Amino acid sequence: MNYPIWELYYLNSGTLIAIISVVHVFISHFAVGGGIFLWLTDLKSVNENNLALKSYVRKHIWFFLLLTMVFGGVSGVGIWFIIALSSPWATSILIHTFVFGWAIEWVFFIVEIIALLIYHYKFETLSDKNRLLVAFIYAAAAWLSLFIINGIITFMLTPGDWLKTGNFWDGFFNPTNLPSLVFRTAICIMFAGLFGFVTAVFEKEEKLRQTLLRYCAKWLYIPLPFLLISGAWYFYSIPENARLTNFVLNKQTANAVNVFLISSLLIYLLSLLLVLRSSKIFQRLAVFVLLMIGLSWIGGFEYMREYVRKPYIIYGYMYSPSILASDEEKLNREGFLKHAKWTTIKEVSEKNKLAAGRELFNLQCLSCHTIGGFKNDIIEKTRGLTYLGIISQLYGQGKILDYMPKFIGNEKELEALATFIASLHGNKKHSISEFQPKAEKIEIPPFNLQKDEYVLLAWSTLGEKCITDADKWFSFLYPGCSFQTILIKRGLKPQIISEGIEIDYEVQKGYENPSKHSDFWKYAQFLKDKKIPENVGLTGKGLKGTFEFDREKKIFSVEGISVLPYRDDGTFNPYPLFTIRAIEKSTGKILQRTKLVAPVSTELRCFECHGGKPKWNGIAGISDETAINILRVHDRNNGTKLLENALKGKPMMCQKCHEDFIVKSEGKKGYNSFSASIHGWHANYIPWKDEKACNLCHPNDARGNTRCNRDIHAKMGIGCTRCHGKLDDHTSAILLSQEGTRTAKLLLRNLKPETPIYNIKPRKPWIQQPDCLTCHVGFQKPKENISAFNKWNYDLSELYRNRSENTGKIPCIACHSAPHALYPSFNEYGVNRDNIQPMQYQGTPFPIGSEMKCEVCHKKKMQGSQHHANMLRAFRNKDKLKQ
Amino acid sequence: MQHIPLIPYPDPIPAPAGILILLEQLFFLIHIILINLILGLGLILFFKWKREKNFFLVNKLIAKKIPILFAIGINMAIPALLFLQVTFGHLFYTSSILMGTFWILIIPFLIVAYYSSYVHYKKFDISWIAKYALLLMIVIILYIALMLVNNLSMMELPEKWNAYFTNRDGTIILWNLSSLYPRYIHFIVASVAVSGIFYSLYFSKKDSTKSHEGLKIFAYATITQIIVGIWFLISLPKDIMLKFMGGNGIATFILVFGIVATILSLIFAFKSRLKISLLFLILTLIAMVINRYNLRMFQLEDNLNLSQLKLVPQWDVFTIFTFILLLGIGVIIYMLKIAFSRPNEVRK
Repeated sequence: MNYPIWELYYLNSGTLIAIISVVHVFISHFAVGGGIFLWLTDLKSVNENNLALKSYVRKHIWFFLLLTMVFGGVSGVGIWFIIALSSPWATSILIHTFVFGWAIEWVFFIVEIIALLIYHYKFETLSDKNRLLVAFIYAAAAWLSLFIINGIITFMLTPGDWLKTGNFWDGFFNPTNLPSLVFRTAICIMFAGLFGFVTAVFEKEEKLRQTLLRYCAKWLYIPLPFLLISGAWYFYSIPENARLTNFVLNKQTANAVNVFLISSLLIYLLSLLLVLRSSKIFQRLAVFVLLMIGLSWIGGFEYMREYVRKPYIIYGYMYSPSILASDEEKLNREGFLKHAKWTTIKEVSEKNKLAAGRELFNLQCLSCHTIGGFKNDIIEKTRGLTYLGIISQLYGQGKILDYMPKFIGNEKELEALATFIASLHGNKKHSISEFQPKAEKIEIPPFNLQKDEYVLLAWSTLGEKCITDADKWFSFLYPGCSFQTILIKRGLKPQIISEGIEIDYEVQKGYENPSKHSDFWKYAQFLKDKKIPENVGLTGKGLKGTFEFDREKKIFSVEGISVLPYRDDGTFNPYPLFTIRAIEKSTGKILQRTKLVAPVSTELRCFECHGGKPKWNGIAGISDETAINILRVHDRNNGTKLLENALKGKPMMCQKCHEDFIVKSEGKKGYNSFSASIHGWHANYIPWKDEKACNLCHPNDARGNTRCNRDIHAKMGIGCTRCHGKLDDHTSAILLSQEGTRTAKLLLRNLKPETPIYNIKPRKPWIQQPDCLTCHVGFQKPKENISAFNKWNYDLSELYRNRSENTGKIPCIACHSAPHALYPSFNEYGVNRDNIQPMQYQGTPFPIGSEMKCEVCHKKKMQGSQHHANMLRAFRNKDKLKQ
Repeated sequence: MQHIPLIPYPDPIPAPAGILILLEQLFFLIHIILINLILGLGLILFFKWKREKNFFLVNKLIAKKIPILFAIGINMAIPALLFLQVTFGHLFYTSSILMGTFWILIIPFLIVAYYSSYVHYKKFDISWIAKYALLLMIVIILYIALMLVNNLSMMELPEKWNAYFTNRDGTIILWNLSSLYPRYIHFIVASVAVSGIFYSLYFSKKDSTKSHEGLKIFAYATITQIIVGIWFLISLPKDIMLKFMGGNGIATFILVFGIVATILSLIFAFKSRLKISLLFLILTLIAMVINRYNLRMFQLEDNLNLSQLKLVPQWDVFTIFTFILLLGIGVIIYMLKIAFSRPNEVRK
């Protein structure tokens, strides 16, 4: 931001650095090792009076000089040129801090050059003693120049105490200096052998050639143990965080590691073959292959070294795009462009947004990313992201995957950059219009308060059963609604009937064929490891069937009804109705009949960020495009092959790896639970923290088609976060419950919960939830602005859906209905669609028995709050019904 | 002034600017003489190609010297550029970026030129390729020189930097800067002059005709150089030109000193007094390097104040550098001594 930007969009300067550096480093290590090689080999030839060996040395010098002095020397200057063009400020710091170090290195360099020229041009005229002395001077000067440059290179990765003192020596003798020096010296020796082969294979006399090759091979093999030991030493001298960031999180490093490891193996195997096989043609060919492998080997190493420094160019001091770490806060606060020298735009406005975005791209992205170019193409990297997706990417950048620097600047600047990047995709805009639910008339089943002997209470255990509906690609929630029911024999002392009856259910017309609308049954064998007959759920339950009696809970229940929100006539309605009947077994008499909704939604708004459109008639479900984009991101960030497998027809259930209580999956050890992963990841990226954020994934968007948070709480303006906490608070609680995973901490470290992190109580997803009584203390009216966040039930038995009232016989949920759909509920698909039972039994949408409607079960008014305190009174918020 | 906000913040310097500038100019002087020789000798060989008797025989050793000069010439550019980047780094990096594409091309071209000089030498009397290798080398050096002149001119003229806002491809050349041309040609002609005297020196003990010819080349080139020099002077903005013409005492003195030294070296060249002519040439070159520095400071007057650069001295490292530099020179001298002394030792 201090300097202008060389605007190379196709082949950016970072790529040029890589190209020039890898070639230079390959040759320069040879220049150092080769010096030692020439000196010792020449010494050997003198000691053994071996003229053949001396003649080999003579030839090798010429090759050596042409390669190292010309190509090596100039490409070294080339690195200097290109880093100054690419990262002038960082280069300036390196120059200003170490100018006398560089100058000392230059002295060694000029001594090297003169020594080499004398060694070459005066080889024949110098006495053995003087020649060897010159060779030694060359070798010593070359190694000393490595000694200097090594200190400066390692400084960039581990500046050590320099960060505090700014002292030359603290920077030079930094924590990785020594291990790197030993490692690089070993590389030099190894390369001496490698390049020694080149001259050796051109020796015509076979016996001599073999001797020379064997001699060179020794140079390759002797440093091997040093290479391994110092390599490990070097690796463990790198700060732990840098290792984690770049060897675990950054999958690009894995490519470099692979190239490095494979090349290592190939070098040593091929060189062995080279020595063992005597075919001249093979040897000559092998030598060039070996050199290429050597180049990729050092490329792999240097890439690793570069990667491990990310997101910095000088670790802890300056970020890759030449922004001082110490300026970050100021730039976020005051704006980045305002402080950038080389831009005419100082403040983002609606008019200059695109141009400002380009400036920001140049200043913060271009040093690593191209546009449609050779490497790290930004178009490719952001493919599949919408504008909001790009915003989120920028917002979350550098937080979990901290090999990239965070976006630095204010909100408007972030938007400007997102606008610019989005424009590179041709400004495709998916406008999803607001969905208008059609209210349907509900027929309330009859109930005769005087004559009817039975009350049938039925409920869905969840307020909303979500379904992924992207089964061709992946799934984390498959079809399967669960109902529970009790049959109460009315009377002064009502009885819960469990013997001699059968309770059945049947879906309303039009919903009988979910398999027509979903691929779940097609891919169930991969998703759930078993074939499932069409239209049937995992537990074998279809759209019509009977309840089972649960002896433990003493209620009738049915799990896994495979209903979808798709009606055969093309209507989307996430609240299909089921008719429930209680039948006396002996007589076949219908004792009572009622209805309830199966709240079931496929509204996941992944497309908002990940592109694509809703799958089913453009209304809901995850489309192929969206799903592919999601898998691509998962694969890229986690090294998985989910997309490849899905394309082969083998999609995967997310919970196969990620533990999830609700789908009874144990996942893989060491992995975060599904809930922790998905919340942990997205909380770092989604720029919102309130309900807007929740609604991106949970079907409650006000423009959406489910609007699942539909009970009296929602009506009163109490949204998700009042109970679950804002996104970062909610996520922190879940992440804190993770034990033995390696990434929970990473997901946590950049969250900013409103409740201090040390006060947040861990919460096990699905097992622990916010508790009603946190606000409704003693079943009373809650205090103003109270929040249920951070006080969780102890175990499953304490969950609202499992709890009973004071007598222990009637579940709370039987009278109050499912969470988020408590009576009275306000369903957009029809008034009272969620209130059928209270309307049926008592003619009001309020909880069963409320407002003194004791007669529903007791046949008469009762006294005393038997079921729970504060129940004998009028419903508090009746006025909300009118709104 | 409008351009000032563009000038990047400089970083602290580790020694007083005077020392760094002295080092820069010293190494630049050595560097430029070597590059003058490579280009000038190249040009002389190219224009003489087969036009004289025993061309290959006579000039083979000159051809041999070019790659060696190359090695040392490039090497000497390093400290010059290094110390330049300490005092003027923030300006130099900026100008380099503004012409980044042309600037980085120097590197591959230089490798080609360097190899060409070897091809030229190795194939000098064997193949026609030699001549084309030489030509390639010359063209590349001319390219590099133009780029350097452009870069340094741009570095010294931050008011030209606004061009960045219409061209960010790194291809800005100051074609409309009138001093660019004489400055560039001044270098080319100097190359011929310096090489002429080198040529003369080289043949002084071997071939007096050739030696005389070298002096002639030197003399004519120097006469041309005086004209180009005047052109250079008057191409400068008036206020700066006037500083060299009495406006600034030291600058005027150095310029006059340089011109006098030039004329003296010319007179002695015509008198075939090679060594005295060479001595005055060296004095001329020193004066011209100082002139060049003075020009830089005049141009940067509004935009750089050396005394404002923050100084965080590293005397300990500087001392070590000085010691190693002296040691290095000692080692080099020792090596040269054993390399060029008569082989009187009994070889093993």
